[in-house]
Amino acid sequence: MSVIPVLVKREFTSRVKGTAYILTTVIGVLVFVGLSFLPPIMQRISSSFAPKSIELAVLDHGAEPSLVPFLLELSGEREGLSVRDVSGWDEVEAYRLVLEEDLSGLLLVDGPLCTLVTPDSKNVVLNDEIKNVVNQAATRWRAAELGLTQAEMESLFQAVDFRIREVAPQQGDSGEVDGAAQAQAMVLAYFLLFMIYMALIMYGNMVATGVAEEKSSRIMEVMVSTVKPLELMFGKIIGVGALGLLQFVIWVSTGLIMALLGRTGFLGMMFGLTEPLSSIPLTSILWFGLYFLLGYFFYASIFAAAGALVARVEEVSQVVSLLMMFIMVGFFAAYISFLNPNSNLAVAASLIPFTAPMVMFARIVLADPPLIQVAASVVIMLLSILVGTWFSSKIYRIGILLYGKRPSLRQVAQLLKG
Amino acid sequence: MSLVVAEITKRFRDVTAVDQLRFTVKEGSLFGFLGPNGAGKTTTMRVILGILKPDEGQVTWQGRPFDRLPRGFYGYLPEERGLYPKMRVVEHLEFLGRIHGLDRMRARRETTRWLERFELGSVSRKRVEELSKGNQQKVQVIGTMLHDPELLILDEPFAGLDPVNAGLLKEVLLEAHGKGKTIIFSSHRMDQVEEICQDIALINLGRLVLHGNLRHIKRSMGRQILRLNLEGNRDFWARIPGLQLLEERADYLEFRLDGSVDPNLVLAEAMEAGQVIHFELVEPSLDQIFVEKVGAGA
Repeated sequence: MSVIPVLVKREFTSRVKGTAYILTTVIGVLVFVGLSFLPPIMQRISSSFAPKSIELAVLDHGAEPSLVPFLLELSGEREGLSVRDVSGWDEVEAYRLVLEEDLSGLLLVDGPLCTLVTPDSKNVVLNDEIKNVVNQAATRWRAAELGLTQAEMESLFQAVDFRIREVAPQQGDSGEVDGAAQAQAMVLAYFLLFMIYMALIMYGNMVATGVAEEKSSRIMEVMVSTVKPLELMFGKIIGVGALGLLQFVIWVSTGLIMALLGRTGFLGMMFGLTEPLSSIPLTSILWFGLYFLLGYFFYASIFAAAGALVARVEEVSQVVSLLMMFIMVGFFAAYISFLNPNSNLAVAASLIPFTAPMVMFARIVLADPPLIQVAASVVIMLLSILVGTWFSSKIYRIGILLYGKRPSLRQVAQLLKG
Repeated sequence: MSLVVAEITKRFRDVTAVDQLRFTVKEGSLFGFLGPNGAGKTTTMRVILGILKPDEGQVTWQGRPFDRLPRGFYGYLPEERGLYPKMRVVEHLEFLGRIHGLDRMRARRETTRWLERFELGSVSRKRVEELSKGNQQKVQVIGTMLHDPELLILDEPFAGLDPVNAGLLKEVLLEAHGKGKTIIFSSHRMDQVEEICQDIALINLGRLVLHGNLRHIKRSMGRQILRLNLEGNRDFWARIPGLQLLEERADYLEFRLDGSVDPNLVLAEAMEAGQVIHFELVEPSLDQIFVEKVGAGA
């Protein structure tokens, strides 16, 4: 009879009722709900900064032909825009008027050169808006000089109907690419990728801290005298993994439900996704689950060894920071792979165990990589998990009873031999 | 039919914690493992349990390497308390029972039984960290005995227990001994060892100093302690060679007798010197043996 289920159960039940776990779960849910409401809030905030009206004084220095008539024409059409022609005034007089009547600024026009004189050059929103107005007027001016009609103008700026159709040598013609669907896939992939990244760091840390805690409470001596280190390690890793999975099922479903409710949220905004997610592809979720577990088991075994190497809980973060670096590299590699999922870099990174869980997952969701590569990455991950746990159980065996000083690299090497 | 510690050596970097240590624990015996602080007792126990690997030598039980023994064969009480502070007492004990191979039902039953025995029923739903040191120690002891192991290895089991609970623990150990269990426990409290152990091993600086049956050891010390009181000339003893005064008290004088001295001769001399009120020959206490072998101040 194996003791692993008993160990897993203890790990799970003693933590799942803990304040820390419940608190992070609830906060996570609140963050997901909050982020979903972020775009409308941001919009409201940014619109509150936008200028309600623009009142310009324009002083033409008299070069012919002039921008001024077009500005005046525009002010008649555009709401919230008023232009007062002060041509012929003294500059100082004109600017005094601006200050007295609290206008948006004084525009000095000298042929093609326009200078905005303003009491507040830092008001980027307002000044950009003025620049837009001036450019618009300038476009009209040039069109008039060229003798273009309104219809001719519109056709000039008409965008091409641009489509993408993928015809790969092996798969043949897979038809036209749906741009909106691709954007949705991207948002989803990014969201799930970020979740894997967070999971590896959070639960990896939890494993390392747990090991260090056990070590410092000396319960380890009792445990090691009856339970094999490998069993002990698996008990901890599976227990924390189950906790993580539960938490993630809660979080990911919150995120997805919000997305389906039409709140694409923060990520949608980052990727310029305007439509709500129409559906969640089930296969993406399944791949997420698979790579979440593969990545977790691989990293957790290494985190467990790291926890076994320190003498006190306070030292965990020092050792763990190195491992976090690997996870970050994986995350950035995955991020780069987003732009070109079939590049050599992406293919290589999806086969290296430290980066594979994130990069291969991103590639699968975005790019339909060849099956052989997917299979290879899964096999490589499984093998790496075996090697990782074997390696770690060696360190674990001795490390958990090495009190006092943290062992040097040379000692670790000796331990591995012994 | 015994536990054999065969020539084990354990080094930590430059320090040799245990050096060519060799002793035997008979099956079913209550074995006292003695030594001053830092003698290597805990290290030896960890090697016996397979927590540490010896650099040389091996430990066998009835000829078999120790690590091939079934789960739950032994119970180990570490010197420093090792419990999960956040777990509830009941849950913790059931957990310890289960990792030592008990099924769920039996773990639950034994937990209840032992908690009652150690009068911990009222704190059974509390978290371990909320318990007093003494109660935590009792929980730890229960965790060691719960699965009814054949071999008990206890590192300083009496540490932190008040006299009442120390008595309870002694009772429990003797009961286990009565059931034929083999018990090894370390201590630096000689009186407790003397009270319940038949066999001992005394180590110092990682080396074996004394080993064997306690009575035989005492006898083989070749010395006896003589307590004598008389009304009359107390200084008569100075004439007798091989007699060494250990302590002069109002109620008696305590001497160490060399193997060559005949106690009867001393009695005869004393009777000549005055009225003998008290004459007693005692074996040296373990405490005295300990101090003699290891040196004062240990």
